[in-house]
Amino acid sequence: MSSRGSYVVFSGSQNFRLRLILATLSGKAIKIEKIRSNELNPGLKDHEVSFLRLLESVTNGSAIEISYTGTTVIYRPGIIVGGSVTHNCPKGKPVGYFVEPMLYLAPFSKKKFSIIFRGCTASSEDAGIEAIKWGLMPVMEKFGVRECALHTLKRGSPPLGGGEVHLIVDSLIAQPLTMHELDRPTISSIRGVSYSTRVSPSMVNRMIDAAKKVLKKVGCEVNISADVWRGENSGKSPGWGITLVAETKKGWSFFSEQIGGAGDVPEDIGTLAAYHLLEEVSKSAAVGRNQLPLALVYMVIGKEDIGRLRITREQIDERLVGLLRDIKLVFGTEVFLRPVDHDNTDDFIATIKGIGFTNTSKKIA
Amino acid sequence: LNGQINRRRKWDIGKLIYMDNISPSDCLKRWRGEEDDDESDMELEQEEDEQFFQKKDEKNTASQDYEGDLEKFVPYFDTIEKLVQKWSNIDAIKDRFIGAPDFGA
Repeated sequence: MSSRGSYVVFSGSQNFRLRLILATLSGKAIKIEKIRSNELNPGLKDHEVSFLRLLESVTNGSAIEISYTGTTVIYRPGIIVGGSVTHNCPKGKPVGYFVEPMLYLAPFSKKKFSIIFRGCTASSEDAGIEAIKWGLMPVMEKFGVRECALHTLKRGSPPLGGGEVHLIVDSLIAQPLTMHELDRPTISSIRGVSYSTRVSPSMVNRMIDAAKKVLKKVGCEVNISADVWRGENSGKSPGWGITLVAETKKGWSFFSEQIGGAGDVPEDIGTLAAYHLLEEVSKSAAVGRNQLPLALVYMVIGKEDIGRLRITREQIDERLVGLLRDIKLVFGTEVFLRPVDHDNTDDFIATIKGIGFTNTSKKIA
Repeated sequence: LNGQINRRRKWDIGKLIYMDNISPSDCLKRWRGEEDDDESDMELEQEEDEQFFQKKDEKNTASQDYEGDLEKFVPYFDTIEKLVQKWSNIDAIKDRFIGAPDFGA
Protein backbone atom coordinates (compact mmCIF):
# COMPACT_ATOMS: atom_id res chain seq x y z
CA MET A 1 0.00 0.00 0.00
CA SER A 2 1.56 3.24 -1.06
CA SER A 3 0.83 5.98 1.37
CA ARG A 4 0.50 8.76 -1.17
CA GLY A 5 -1.50 9.12 -4.29
CA SER A 6 -3.77 6.20 -3.52
CA TYR A 7 -6.69 8.27 -2.28
CA VAL A 8 -9.87 9.08 -4.03
CA VAL A 9 -9.91 12.85 -3.63
CA PHE A 10 -13.03 14.90 -3.02
CA SER A 11 -13.33 18.57 -2.45
CA GLY A 12 -15.86 20.59 -0.50
CA SER A 13 -18.15 19.86 2.40
CA GLN A 14 -21.10 18.57 0.42
CA ASN A 15 -22.16 14.93 0.58
CA PHE A 16 -19.80 14.54 3.53
CA ARG A 17 -21.49 11.58 5.11
CA LEU A 18 -22.21 9.89 1.83
CA ARG A 19 -18.59 10.05 0.73
CA LEU A 20 -17.38 8.48 3.95
CA ILE A 21 -20.01 5.77 3.64
CA LEU A 22 -19.04 4.99 0.06
CA ALA A 23 -15.41 4.81 1.14
CA THR A 24 -16.26 2.42 3.95
CA LEU A 25 -18.29 0.17 1.68
CA SER A 26 -15.66 0.10 -1.03
CA GLY A 27 -12.72 -0.16 1.33
CA LYS A 28 -10.92 2.64 -0.49
CA ALA A 29 -9.12 5.45 1.28
CA ILE A 30 -10.46 8.91 0.58
CA LYS A 31 -9.27 12.42 1.11
CA ILE A 32 -11.70 15.28 1.42
CA GLU A 33 -10.13 18.67 0.82
CA LYS A 34 -11.22 22.26 1.05
CA ILE A 35 -13.91 21.73 3.64
CA ARG A 36 -15.38 25.22 4.04
CA SER A 37 -11.95 26.65 3.33
CA ASN A 38 -13.40 29.96 2.16
CA GLU A 39 -15.72 30.50 5.06
CA LEU A 40 -15.27 32.59 8.16
CA ASN A 41 -15.55 29.48 10.23
CA PRO A 42 -13.49 27.00 8.24
CA GLY A 43 -13.17 23.29 8.62
CA LEU A 44 -15.26 20.52 10.05
CA LYS A 45 -18.23 21.26 12.21
CA ASP A 46 -18.95 19.55 15.52
CA HIS A 47 -21.50 17.21 14.10
CA GLU A 48 -19.17 16.11 11.33
CA VAL A 49 -16.42 15.27 13.79
CA SER A 50 -19.00 13.44 15.84
CA PHE A 51 -20.00 11.48 12.77
CA LEU A 52 -16.37 10.53 12.15
CA ARG A 53 -16.19 9.24 15.71
CA LEU A 54 -19.32 7.19 15.20
CA LEU A 55 -17.83 5.74 12.04
CA GLU A 56 -14.68 4.89 13.94
CA SER A 57 -16.66 3.08 16.60
CA VAL A 58 -18.63 0.87 14.23
CA THR A 59 -15.58 -0.10 12.19
CA ASN A 60 -12.35 -1.81 13.11
CA GLY A 61 -9.04 -0.53 11.85
CA SER A 62 -10.19 2.79 10.43
CA ALA A 63 -7.73 5.62 10.42
CA ILE A 64 -8.85 9.21 10.37
CA GLU A 65 -6.52 12.14 9.99
CA ILE A 66 -7.77 15.67 10.30
CA SER A 67 -5.55 18.59 9.35
CA TYR A 68 -4.79 21.40 11.79
CA THR A 69 -7.34 23.71 10.26
CA GLY A 70 -9.89 20.95 9.88
CA THR A 71 -10.29 21.62 6.20
CA THR A 72 -8.80 18.31 5.08
CA VAL A 73 -9.73 14.82 6.20
CA ILE A 74 -8.06 11.61 5.23
CA TYR A 75 -10.06 8.50 5.92
CA ARG A 76 -8.78 4.96 5.53
CA PRO A 77 -11.65 2.62 6.21
CA GLY A 78 -11.37 -0.59 8.17
CA ILE A 79 -13.94 -3.34 8.21
CA ILE A 80 -17.47 -2.79 9.42
CA VAL A 81 -17.90 -4.54 12.74
CA GLY A 82 -21.04 -3.02 14.25
CA GLY A 83 -21.87 -4.21 17.73
CA SER A 84 -23.42 -2.36 20.65
CA VAL A 85 -22.52 1.30 20.78
CA THR A 86 -23.93 4.39 22.42
CA HIS A 87 -23.59 7.64 20.58
CA ASN A 88 -24.26 11.05 22.03
CA CYS A 89 -25.28 13.41 19.26
CA PRO A 90 -24.02 16.97 19.53
CA LYS A 91 -26.39 19.90 19.69
CA GLY A 92 -27.50 21.21 16.37
CA LYS A 93 -27.92 17.90 14.62
CA PRO A 94 -30.62 15.39 15.49
CA VAL A 95 -30.25 11.64 15.72
CA GLY A 96 -31.56 11.27 12.18
CA TYR A 97 -28.36 12.79 10.81
CA PHE A 98 -26.40 9.92 12.34
CA VAL A 99 -28.89 7.10 11.94
CA GLU A 100 -29.45 7.66 8.24
CA PRO A 101 -25.88 6.86 7.08
CA MET A 102 -25.73 3.88 9.44
CA LEU A 103 -28.48 2.27 7.38
CA TYR A 104 -26.07 2.02 4.46
CA LEU A 105 -23.52 0.10 6.53
CA ALA A 106 -25.51 -1.92 9.03
CA PRO A 107 -26.52 -4.93 6.87
CA PHE A 108 -22.93 -5.54 5.79
CA SER A 109 -21.35 -5.72 9.17
CA LYS A 110 -19.60 -8.47 11.07
CA LYS A 111 -21.81 -8.27 14.11
CA LYS A 112 -25.36 -7.00 14.39
CA PHE A 113 -25.86 -3.29 14.78
CA SER A 114 -27.38 -2.13 18.02
CA ILE A 115 -26.74 1.55 18.56
CA ILE A 116 -28.34 3.89 21.03
CA PHE A 117 -28.37 7.51 19.91
CA ARG A 118 -28.99 10.29 22.40
CA GLY A 119 -29.90 13.83 21.49
CA CYS A 120 -32.56 15.68 19.56
CA THR A 121 -34.99 13.53 17.65
CA ALA A 122 -36.28 16.08 15.16
CA SER A 123 -35.15 18.96 13.01
CA SER A 124 -36.40 20.68 9.93
CA GLU A 125 -33.67 19.44 7.63
CA ASP A 126 -32.71 15.97 8.75
CA ALA A 127 -34.52 12.67 8.82
CA GLY A 128 -37.03 12.30 11.63
CA ILE A 129 -37.64 9.06 13.52
CA GLU A 130 -40.78 8.17 11.59
CA ALA A 131 -39.18 9.11 8.31
CA ILE A 132 -36.49 6.51 8.96
CA LYS A 133 -38.87 3.91 10.31
CA TRP A 134 -41.50 4.21 7.62
CA GLY A 135 -39.64 5.85 4.80
CA LEU A 136 -36.13 4.40 4.68
CA MET A 137 -36.55 1.01 6.32
CA PRO A 138 -39.15 -0.11 3.75
CA VAL A 139 -36.53 0.61 1.07
CA MET A 140 -34.06 -1.58 2.95
CA GLU A 141 -36.66 -4.31 3.17
CA LYS A 142 -37.07 -4.27 -0.60
CA PHE A 143 -33.35 -4.93 -0.87
CA GLY A 144 -33.47 -7.88 1.50
CA VAL A 145 -32.70 -6.25 4.84
CA ARG A 146 -35.77 -7.48 6.66
CA GLU A 147 -34.95 -7.27 10.31
CA CYS A 148 -34.30 -3.69 11.14
CA ALA A 149 -36.01 -1.51 13.68
CA LEU A 150 -35.73 1.88 15.25
CA HIS A 151 -37.19 2.09 18.72
CA THR A 152 -38.06 5.43 20.20
CA LEU A 153 -37.18 5.28 23.86
CA LYS A 154 -37.51 9.00 24.50
CA ARG A 155 -38.43 11.86 22.27
CA GLY A 156 -36.52 15.09 22.46
CA SER A 157 -37.49 18.14 20.51
CA PRO A 158 -35.03 20.86 19.57
CA PRO A 159 -33.32 22.90 20.87
CA LEU A 160 -32.52 21.00 24.08
CA GLY A 161 -33.24 17.48 22.91
CA GLY A 162 -33.01 14.78 25.54
CA GLY A 163 -34.31 12.05 23.27
CA GLU A 164 -33.07 8.51 22.86
CA VAL A 165 -33.54 6.06 20.01
CA HIS A 166 -32.29 2.53 19.52
CA LEU A 167 -31.30 1.33 16.07
CA ILE A 168 -31.27 -2.42 15.63
CA VAL A 169 -30.34 -4.15 12.39
CA ASP A 170 -30.41 -7.89 12.78
CA SER A 171 -30.18 -9.07 9.20
CA LEU A 172 -26.64 -9.48 8.03
CA ILE A 173 -26.57 -10.14 4.33
CA ALA A 174 -23.77 -10.74 1.87
CA GLN A 175 -25.12 -8.25 -0.63
CA PRO A 176 -28.40 -6.49 -1.40
CA LEU A 177 -30.89 -8.14 -3.73
CA THR A 178 -30.93 -7.08 -7.35
CA MET A 179 -33.75 -4.64 -7.90
CA HIS A 180 -36.14 -4.74 -10.83
CA GLU A 181 -38.81 -2.12 -10.49
CA LEU A 182 -40.15 -0.95 -13.82
CA ASP A 183 -43.56 0.30 -12.76
CA ARG A 184 -44.97 3.11 -10.76
CA PRO A 185 -46.50 1.33 -7.78
CA THR A 186 -50.02 2.34 -6.82
CA ILE A 187 -50.66 3.82 -3.42
CA SER A 188 -53.18 1.94 -1.33
CA SER A 189 -53.27 3.94 1.87
CA ILE A 190 -51.88 6.95 3.63
CA ARG A 191 -50.65 6.57 7.16
CA GLY A 192 -49.13 9.07 9.46
CA VAL A 193 -48.06 10.00 12.91
CA SER A 194 -48.57 13.31 14.56
CA TYR A 195 -46.56 13.66 17.73
CA SER A 196 -45.98 16.19 20.44
CA THR A 197 -43.66 16.54 23.40
CA ARG A 198 -44.46 18.74 26.34
CA VAL A 199 -47.30 20.60 24.63
CA SER A 200 -51.05 20.25 24.73
CA PRO A 201 -52.38 17.17 22.87
CA SER A 202 -54.79 19.44 21.05
CA MET A 203 -51.91 20.50 18.79
CA VAL A 204 -51.62 16.93 17.59
CA ASN A 205 -55.28 16.68 16.72
CA ARG A 206 -55.28 20.02 14.97
CA MET A 207 -52.43 18.87 12.73
CA ILE A 208 -54.25 15.62 11.96
CA ASP A 209 -57.44 17.43 11.04
CA ALA A 210 -55.66 19.86 8.74
CA ALA A 211 -53.72 17.11 6.98
CA LYS A 212 -56.83 14.98 6.56
CA LYS A 213 -58.69 17.90 5.07
CA VAL A 214 -56.11 18.19 2.30
CA LEU A 215 -55.78 14.45 1.72
CA LYS A 216 -59.54 13.83 1.65
CA LYS A 217 -59.76 14.51 -2.06
CA VAL A 218 -57.23 11.80 -2.86
CA GLY A 219 -59.91 9.24 -2.13
CA CYS A 220 -57.85 6.53 -0.49
CA GLU A 221 -57.78 5.54 3.12
CA VAL A 222 -56.11 8.07 5.40
CA ASN A 223 -55.10 7.02 8.87
CA ILE A 224 -53.04 9.34 11.02
CA SER A 225 -52.36 8.41 14.59
CA ALA A 226 -51.69 10.69 17.51
CA ASP A 227 -48.60 10.18 19.61
CA VAL A 228 -48.45 12.40 22.64
CA TRP A 229 -45.40 12.18 24.88
CA ARG A 230 -45.51 13.28 28.48
CA GLY A 231 -43.26 13.35 31.49
CA GLU A 232 -39.73 12.02 31.72
CA ASN A 233 -39.60 10.47 28.27
CA SER A 234 -40.61 13.54 26.37
CA GLY A 235 -37.26 15.28 26.45
CA LYS A 236 -36.34 18.75 27.55
CA SER A 237 -38.13 20.99 25.07
CA PRO A 238 -41.66 21.44 23.84
CA GLY A 239 -42.19 20.46 20.24
CA TRP A 240 -44.51 18.84 17.76
CA GLY A 241 -44.55 17.54 14.24
CA ILE A 242 -46.15 15.26 11.71
CA THR A 243 -44.96 12.56 9.30
CA LEU A 244 -47.16 11.33 6.46
CA VAL A 245 -46.48 8.13 4.54
CA ALA A 246 -48.17 7.00 1.34
CA GLU A 247 -47.94 3.22 1.28
CA THR A 248 -48.15 0.86 -1.66
CA LYS A 249 -49.08 -2.80 -1.72
CA LYS A 250 -45.71 -3.60 -3.22
CA GLY A 251 -43.86 -2.32 -0.18
CA TRP A 252 -42.59 0.99 -1.49
CA SER A 253 -43.60 4.12 0.33
CA PHE A 254 -43.37 7.85 -0.11
CA PHE A 255 -43.24 10.23 2.79
CA SER A 256 -43.10 13.81 3.91
CA GLU A 257 -42.48 15.29 7.29
CA GLN A 258 -42.77 18.61 8.97
CA ILE A 259 -42.01 19.93 12.42
CA GLY A 260 -43.47 22.89 14.21
CA GLY A 261 -41.32 25.72 15.47
CA ALA A 262 -41.99 28.75 17.61
CA GLY A 263 -44.91 30.75 16.29
CA ASP A 264 -46.16 28.09 13.88
CA VAL A 265 -49.81 27.18 13.75
CA PRO A 266 -50.53 23.42 13.88
CA GLU A 267 -53.06 23.69 11.05
CA ASP A 268 -50.40 25.17 8.77
CA ILE A 269 -47.91 22.45 9.57
CA GLY A 270 -50.46 19.71 8.94
CA THR A 271 -51.49 21.30 5.64
CA LEU A 272 -47.91 21.81 4.55
CA ALA A 273 -46.98 18.20 5.27
CA ALA A 274 -49.99 17.01 3.27
CA TYR A 275 -49.15 19.16 0.26
CA HIS A 276 -45.52 18.06 0.42
CA LEU A 277 -46.69 14.47 0.32
CA LEU A 278 -48.78 15.12 -2.80
CA GLU A 279 -45.86 16.89 -4.43
CA GLU A 280 -43.45 14.11 -3.51
CA VAL A 281 -45.81 11.49 -4.93
CA SER A 282 -46.05 13.44 -8.16
CA LYS A 283 -42.27 13.58 -8.38
CA SER A 284 -41.55 9.94 -7.61
CA ALA A 285 -41.81 6.74 -9.54
CA ALA A 286 -40.75 3.90 -7.28
CA VAL A 287 -38.91 5.84 -4.59
CA GLY A 288 -39.14 9.38 -3.28
CA ARG A 289 -36.32 11.85 -3.71
CA ASN A 290 -35.14 11.35 -0.15
CA GLN A 291 -35.03 7.57 -0.57
CA LEU A 292 -33.24 7.61 -3.89
CA PRO A 293 -29.63 7.78 -2.59
CA LEU A 294 -30.15 4.75 -0.36
CA ALA A 295 -31.75 2.75 -3.15
CA LEU A 296 -29.08 3.65 -5.69
CA VAL A 297 -26.18 2.88 -3.36
CA TYR A 298 -27.71 -0.51 -2.56
CA MET A 299 -28.02 -1.15 -6.27
CA VAL A 300 -24.41 -0.23 -6.89
CA ILE A 301 -23.10 -2.61 -4.24
CA GLY A 302 -25.37 -5.41 -5.42
CA LYS A 303 -24.53 -8.60 -7.27
CA GLU A 304 -22.78 -8.45 -10.60
CA ASP A 305 -26.06 -8.22 -12.36
CA ILE A 306 -28.11 -5.47 -13.90
CA GLY A 307 -30.51 -3.78 -11.50
CA ARG A 308 -33.26 -1.53 -12.76
CA LEU A 309 -35.22 1.17 -11.00
CA ARG A 310 -37.78 3.52 -12.41
CA ILE A 311 -37.24 7.19 -11.67
CA THR A 312 -39.00 10.32 -12.87
CA ARG A 313 -37.64 13.21 -14.84
CA GLU A 314 -38.00 15.49 -11.81
CA GLN A 315 -35.83 13.22 -9.74
CA ILE A 316 -32.85 14.01 -11.93
CA ASP A 317 -31.69 17.03 -9.97
CA GLU A 318 -28.48 18.43 -8.56
CA ARG A 319 -28.56 15.99 -5.67
CA LEU A 320 -28.76 13.03 -7.98
CA VAL A 321 -25.99 14.29 -10.25
CA GLY A 322 -23.75 14.85 -7.23
CA LEU A 323 -24.57 11.40 -5.92
CA LEU A 324 -23.86 9.67 -9.22
CA ARG A 325 -20.57 11.51 -9.65
CA ASP A 326 -19.45 10.50 -6.17
CA ILE A 327 -20.45 6.90 -6.83
CA LYS A 328 -18.44 6.92 -10.03
CA LEU A 329 -15.39 8.33 -8.31
CA VAL A 330 -15.39 5.66 -5.66
CA PHE A 331 -16.78 2.59 -7.42
CA GLY A 332 -16.16 3.46 -11.05
CA THR A 333 -19.74 2.51 -11.89
CA GLU A 334 -21.94 4.56 -14.16
CA VAL A 335 -25.68 4.65 -14.20
CA PHE A 336 -27.36 4.22 -17.53
CA LEU A 337 -30.61 6.13 -17.96
CA ARG A 338 -33.05 4.79 -20.51
CA PRO A 339 -36.29 6.63 -21.23
CA VAL A 340 -39.50 4.68 -20.73
CA ASP A 341 -41.30 4.66 -24.03
CA HIS A 342 -44.26 2.35 -23.64
CA ASP A 343 -46.38 4.89 -21.78
CA ASN A 344 -46.72 8.63 -22.02
CA THR A 345 -44.70 9.52 -18.93
CA ASP A 346 -41.33 11.21 -18.88
CA ASP A 347 -39.85 8.51 -16.69
CA PHE A 348 -36.49 6.86 -16.98
CA ILE A 349 -35.21 3.45 -16.03
CA ALA A 350 -31.97 3.80 -14.12
CA THR A 351 -29.90 0.75 -14.96
CA ILE A 352 -26.96 -0.10 -12.76
CA LYS A 353 -24.59 -3.02 -12.86
CA GLY A 354 -23.69 -4.06 -9.35
CA ILE A 355 -20.02 -4.18 -8.49
CA GLY A 356 -20.27 -7.65 -7.01
CA PHE A 357 -19.56 -6.44 -3.52
CA THR A 358 -19.57 -9.14 -0.89
CA ASN A 359 -19.80 -8.64 2.77
CA THR A 360 -16.19 -9.41 3.54
CA SER A 361 -16.52 -8.49 7.17
CA LYS A 362 -18.91 -11.37 7.68
CA LYS A 363 -16.88 -13.95 5.79
CA ILE A 364 -13.64 -13.39 7.59
CA ALA A 365 -15.25 -13.78 10.99
CA LEU B 1 -33.40 30.15 -33.19
CA ASN B 2 -33.69 26.83 -34.93
CA GLY B 3 -30.03 26.19 -34.56
CA GLN B 4 -30.32 26.81 -30.87
CA ILE B 5 -33.08 24.30 -30.43
CA ASN B 6 -31.14 21.67 -32.28
CA ARG B 7 -28.11 22.28 -30.21
CA ARG B 8 -30.16 21.89 -27.07
CA ARG B 9 -31.75 18.65 -28.07
CA LYS B 10 -28.41 17.05 -28.56
CA TRP B 11 -27.64 16.79 -24.85
CA ASP B 12 -27.92 13.31 -23.47
CA ILE B 13 -28.42 13.34 -19.73
CA GLY B 14 -26.59 10.06 -19.27
CA LYS B 15 -23.41 11.65 -20.61
CA LEU B 16 -23.94 15.08 -19.05
CA ILE B 17 -24.07 13.60 -15.58
CA TYR B 18 -20.53 12.34 -15.87
CA MET B 19 -18.98 15.39 -17.49
CA ASP B 20 -17.03 16.54 -14.47
CA ASN B 21 -16.10 19.89 -15.95
CA ILE B 22 -19.72 21.01 -15.84
CA SER B 23 -21.33 21.79 -12.50
CA PRO B 24 -24.44 19.76 -11.66
CA SER B 25 -26.77 22.72 -11.95
CA ASP B 26 -25.32 23.69 -15.34
CA CYS B 27 -25.65 20.22 -16.76
CA LEU B 28 -29.28 20.11 -15.70
CA LYS B 29 -29.87 23.48 -17.30
CA ARG B 30 -28.38 22.29 -20.55
CA TRP B 31 -30.40 19.13 -20.45
CA ARG B 32 -33.65 20.96 -19.80
CA GLY B 33 -32.72 23.49 -22.45
CA GLU B 34 -32.80 26.51 -20.19
CA GLU B 35 -29.37 27.99 -20.58
CA ASP B 36 -28.37 31.13 -18.80
CA ASP B 37 -27.61 33.23 -21.81
CA ASP B 38 -31.12 34.20 -22.91
CA GLU B 39 -33.78 36.69 -21.92
CA SER B 40 -33.16 37.17 -18.25
CA ASP B 41 -29.69 38.45 -18.96
CA MET B 42 -30.84 40.85 -21.63
CA GLU B 43 -33.05 42.65 -19.19
CA LEU B 44 -30.32 42.87 -16.66
CA GLU B 45 -27.79 44.28 -19.07
CA GLN B 46 -28.06 47.88 -17.89
CA GLU B 47 -27.46 47.23 -14.24
CA GLU B 48 -25.23 44.34 -15.04
CA ASP B 49 -21.88 46.06 -14.69
CA GLU B 50 -21.88 46.52 -10.96
CA GLN B 51 -24.33 43.96 -9.78
CA PHE B 52 -23.77 41.04 -12.06
CA PHE B 53 -20.91 39.41 -10.27
CA GLN B 54 -22.43 39.82 -6.86
CA LYS B 55 -25.72 38.39 -7.98
CA LYS B 56 -24.22 35.42 -9.66
CA ASP B 57 -22.12 34.60 -6.64
CA GLU B 58 -25.09 34.68 -4.38
CA LYS B 59 -27.07 32.50 -6.68
CA ASN B 60 -24.32 29.96 -7.00
CA THR B 61 -23.62 29.52 -3.32
CA ALA B 62 -27.30 29.42 -2.44
CA SER B 63 -28.07 26.75 -4.97
CA GLN B 64 -25.02 24.75 -4.03
CA ASP B 65 -25.85 24.83 -0.38
CA TYR B 66 -29.39 23.83 -0.91
CA GLU B 67 -29.91 21.89 -4.08
CA GLY B 68 -26.87 19.74 -4.46
CA ASP B 69 -26.01 18.73 -0.96
CA LEU B 70 -27.12 15.38 0.32
CA GLU B 71 -26.17 16.51 3.80
CA LYS B 72 -29.59 18.07 3.80
CA PHE B 73 -32.09 15.27 3.90
CA VAL B 74 -35.25 17.13 3.05
CA PRO B 75 -35.54 17.80 -0.68
CA TYR B 76 -36.51 21.10 -2.20
CA PHE B 77 -40.17 22.09 -2.27
CA ASP B 78 -41.96 25.05 -3.77
CA THR B 79 -43.62 27.49 -1.41
CA ILE B 80 -46.89 26.49 0.15
CA GLU B 81 -48.84 29.00 -1.95
CA LYS B 82 -47.66 27.42 -5.18
CA LEU B 83 -48.31 23.92 -3.90
CA VAL B 84 -51.85 24.79 -2.81
CA GLN B 85 -52.51 26.15 -6.24
CA LYS B 86 -50.93 23.20 -8.00
CA TRP B 87 -52.80 20.60 -6.00
CA SER B 88 -56.19 22.28 -5.82
CA ASN B 89 -56.93 19.65 -8.42
CA ILE B 90 -55.24 16.29 -8.02
CA ASP B 91 -56.18 14.76 -11.36
CA ALA B 92 -52.53 14.61 -12.38
CA ILE B 93 -51.72 12.00 -9.74
CA LYS B 94 -55.18 10.51 -9.29
CA ASP B 95 -54.12 7.31 -11.03
CA ARG B 96 -51.41 6.73 -8.43
CA PHE B 97 -53.93 6.10 -5.68
CA ILE B 98 -56.32 3.21 -5.16
CA GLY B 99 -59.39 4.40 -3.36
CA ALA B 100 -63.12 4.18 -3.00
CA PRO B 101 -64.87 5.29 -6.17
CA ASP B 102 -66.04 8.88 -6.21
CA PHE B 103 -69.79 9.02 -5.76
CA GLY B 104 -70.03 12.55 -6.95
CA ALA B 105 -69.63 14.06 -3.52
